[in-house]
Amino acid sequence: MLISVTNIQRFCMHDGPGIRTTVFLKGCPLRCQWCHNPETQEIKQQIFYAQNKCIYCRACEECPQGAHKFENDCHFFLRKNCILCGKCVSACPSKALEFVSKEMSVEEILEIVKKDTAFYGEKGGMTLSGGEPMMQPEKAILLLKAAKKAGISTAVETCGHFSEIYLNDLCSFTDYFLWDIKDTDLERHKKFTGTDNHKILNNLFAADKIASSIILRCILINSINTNKEHYTKLANIYKSLKSCRGIELIPYHVYGSSKYMLLYGKENAKKEWIPENSHIQYAKNFLTDMGCNVL
Amino acid sequence: MEFEFYSASDTKRPIRLCDSTRKFSYESLNHKYGKDTRKNPAVSLDLDNIKNIDSFSDLEKYNAGILVIAKNAPLRVCPNELICGAATLGNAINHMLPVEYHGKPLFESYSGISHLTPNYTEILKIGYRGLREKIKLSLGKNISQKQKLFLQSCLHCVDCFEIWHKRYLNKLQNMPGYENQYKNLCVVPEYPATCFYEAVQSLWFTFAFMRLTGNWPGIGRIDVILGEYLKNDLEKGLLTISQAREILAHFFIKGCEWICGGDYGSGDAQHYQNIVLSGIDSEGNDVTNEVTFLVLDIVEELGISDFPITVRINKNTDKKLLRRIAQVIRHGGGVIAVYNEDIVIKALTDFGYPLSEARNFANDGCWEVQIPGKTNFSYIPFDSLAILQKNTLNNYLIDTDIKSFKELYGKYIHNLSEELDLIYKKFVEPLFISGDNSEWKEMFPCTIVSLFEHDCIERGLSYREGGPVYNIISPHIGGISDVANSLYAIKKLVFDEKKLSFKDFMKVLYDNWEGNEPLRQYVLSSYNYYGNDNDEVDYIAADILSDFSDICSKYNSITPIKFPSGVSTFGRQIEWAPNRIATPSGRKKGEILSGNFSPTPGTDKEGATAIIKSYCKADLSKQVTGAALDIGLLPYNVRGEDGLDAIISLISGFVTLGGYFMQIDISDPKILHDAQLHPENYPTLSVRVSGWNARFVTLNREWQNMIIEKSAGKL
Repeated sequence: MLISVTNIQRFCMHDGPGIRTTVFLKGCPLRCQWCHNPETQEIKQQIFYAQNKCIYCRACEECPQGAHKFENDCHFFLRKNCILCGKCVSACPSKALEFVSKEMSVEEILEIVKKDTAFYGEKGGMTLSGGEPMMQPEKAILLLKAAKKAGISTAVETCGHFSEIYLNDLCSFTDYFLWDIKDTDLERHKKFTGTDNHKILNNLFAADKIASSIILRCILINSINTNKEHYTKLANIYKSLKSCRGIELIPYHVYGSSKYMLLYGKENAKKEWIPENSHIQYAKNFLTDMGCNVL
Repeated sequence: MEFEFYSASDTKRPIRLCDSTRKFSYESLNHKYGKDTRKNPAVSLDLDNIKNIDSFSDLEKYNAGILVIAKNAPLRVCPNELICGAATLGNAINHMLPVEYHGKPLFESYSGISHLTPNYTEILKIGYRGLREKIKLSLGKNISQKQKLFLQSCLHCVDCFEIWHKRYLNKLQNMPGYENQYKNLCVVPEYPATCFYEAVQSLWFTFAFMRLTGNWPGIGRIDVILGEYLKNDLEKGLLTISQAREILAHFFIKGCEWICGGDYGSGDAQHYQNIVLSGIDSEGNDVTNEVTFLVLDIVEELGISDFPITVRINKNTDKKLLRRIAQVIRHGGGVIAVYNEDIVIKALTDFGYPLSEARNFANDGCWEVQIPGKTNFSYIPFDSLAILQKNTLNNYLIDTDIKSFKELYGKYIHNLSEELDLIYKKFVEPLFISGDNSEWKEMFPCTIVSLFEHDCIERGLSYREGGPVYNIISPHIGGISDVANSLYAIKKLVFDEKKLSFKDFMKVLYDNWEGNEPLRQYVLSSYNYYGNDNDEVDYIAADILSDFSDICSKYNSITPIKFPSGVSTFGRQIEWAPNRIATPSGRKKGEILSGNFSPTPGTDKEGATAIIKSYCKADLSKQVTGAALDIGLLPYNVRGEDGLDAIISLISGFVTLGGYFMQIDISDPKILHDAQLHPENYPTLSVRVSGWNARFVTLNREWQNMIIEKSAGKL
């Protein structure tokens, strides 16, 4: 059984406690318009093309589908023609063309995660992120189980949108949840992420009964969810949870835009969504006043 | 008054010291007091009206020089300083005896001693009066004429120390506000120190005199040297911990003297001597004491990166100490480094030092390890990449054909061995009378440091002529990461993947990769080089180091000089760059490559933990005098409690895995600016953006600027 992994990043320090190795899984049920890891949305394989790494050697022209064209010293990647055969990826000497993900076994992933055992100490370990790790539910759970068996602490960053039948298993092998709450308004949630938030909240409340530690990660998108109603609902959610250690506010940023370039050849930055520093502080104070522990 | 000391962290530096100490520090860090050394490069023997200098022996000239310094070197007493004495002559900074005769330096060439850490404990315990007695005792023995002249020079130098000392006493006697300083100097360094304040004064005064006379000594284990004095004072209620902090702070402030206030080659510091903290004593007991924590308090508050600190860590180091170290490291400046003393002590005992000596190791003022107060130490740096390029691969010129990786590796080790033989012949053999490997030749005089090194006085031999208990010349291999990367690239490309023949590859390299950009890109992007926790290349580096160490060990029993191996470049990768040609790992002629035993810039893609793992695969206990690793982190990596945990985890992992010496720097915005200009050199520089980490170079310009501004303290 192989897992689609876009990246395994060692020495991560803010994806759960201690030094952690974060495994990014491919595929997500949501289509958040502000997504900063767009390469993890589609479950299927994709190819990154980094124009700045291309040395115009034309090795990729051997593409049998004619997906790579060179005109006037410009390299055009015609994605429509691409059948993901990977010939161009192997031919490219500078790694300007690369597969987004790799199919890896639980053992292969753990082998990399274990490389940093000496640095995990009491708190650190493995974090599953993505994408939504639970888009590959059985596989994600197997991986978590294997990590626990190997004595490695586990954290899962989830959007919460997955089938509740996996909840028990997921909770039994997860030490820390980083649970994204994109929005508390049902309509907005649907509009900006493509799905409503019923399942997400239901899963959260169900998980809360059995999970040991949950942190809510809440994105702040200026003019979308930066309002009192949202913060009040957030605070109410926080207060109704027994295992929640705190709320982490994550202001929208345009960091993901370079990855849209690699995937689609165009940027996707919405500067008007960046919240003002003063508003971030306001939101922090508001939530704190409502009795939340803002991290 | 407010004095702000720069921090890379958004956690504020604590304030514990009084305003006048903070002011003194602020002024010193802004080079208020050191610049006068440039105005006074030397004193002149003409002042002593010496005529027939040509008839003087070197030792007589040296004696006359020390006297004229003691009598005439400018005295400096800074406003509000608690500790007195200063090295005020500029030529001393250039390793020279700062004495002129008829307008020319008394000795044209190098005449000072550096890379030693003297025995300060003795002068604190017996004073220079005690030294005099020791010298007289040796003079009373049945000794040669040469020994007699040396010991007479010792007595003369103690007299000179006294002359300089008494000049300060005279100056301070009538200075209002310096009553305590005067009182201390009435006792030390002439008599044994009786309290902490006197001990600090004696330590500084002795250091400053050595420095004034052109030497560059280290300090060593300051908490061991001073710990007992403080303990006694605290127990007797003679001193509070805050008072002790103020006194010790002045020692550090005086140590961070800046000499020209501008760019000056490798730096602008006059003293630049590492200080060692914590660790175990000769019986194996933890020495950590109040002084240890006071030093950390002081550098945390004042941001003094000179003297820099190295802390001896082992598997049992107290969590409280680790946490304090992490808190100080977080402010940036690379102010604290760590030794893994488990490995260092193993290295020293494996090499043959008695365990009790090994346990007392310190550094030489830099990070090379030695037994303080007992070691004549020097190191010989060499470029191991040049050996590969010039000797093994003949500058890619001659039609060499190598059939296998084994053959290539064997040839390289053979060439390395030849180079070491040359080094030994050039630097060690000439120190002895020819045909005799135990009789030292007469060397340049160095009486001042000999006073403070066992067993110079007992043996009647100077520091340079076999006086110290241990005599070490350590060959230091540099460029090792690039040798490993080069061999690895050849192995992969030619012997494993067979992409092209050995000869064809040599032609590509001879052409400096011209016309072969796709191949160069392939070599750069397809292989995981040293620093990425890739066994295949890491063990090439490890094997070379092991073989290097074995070769060196052959030379240990020939003369009284031992020849232990070590790894370093310090900054030499910069000066070596123009002489280096293309590397098989994809670098072009003249690039600046790896420093110390760190990865080559731009090749480390997996982050700090992978770098430490690569480094620790070598058996570092074979690198007796040290092997340094540099780790760079961003202020955002180490923010908050998580950040402290991260630093502690990195250090703990480093110890568990068998590291030797590591310096962690929290980079400042200058580095980030450079990363904007040369992103290819900083692939793993990761930043905390908000609720997550991102690699700095993958951020767009706007975000990069934002983070630069934030890390510069909200410019």
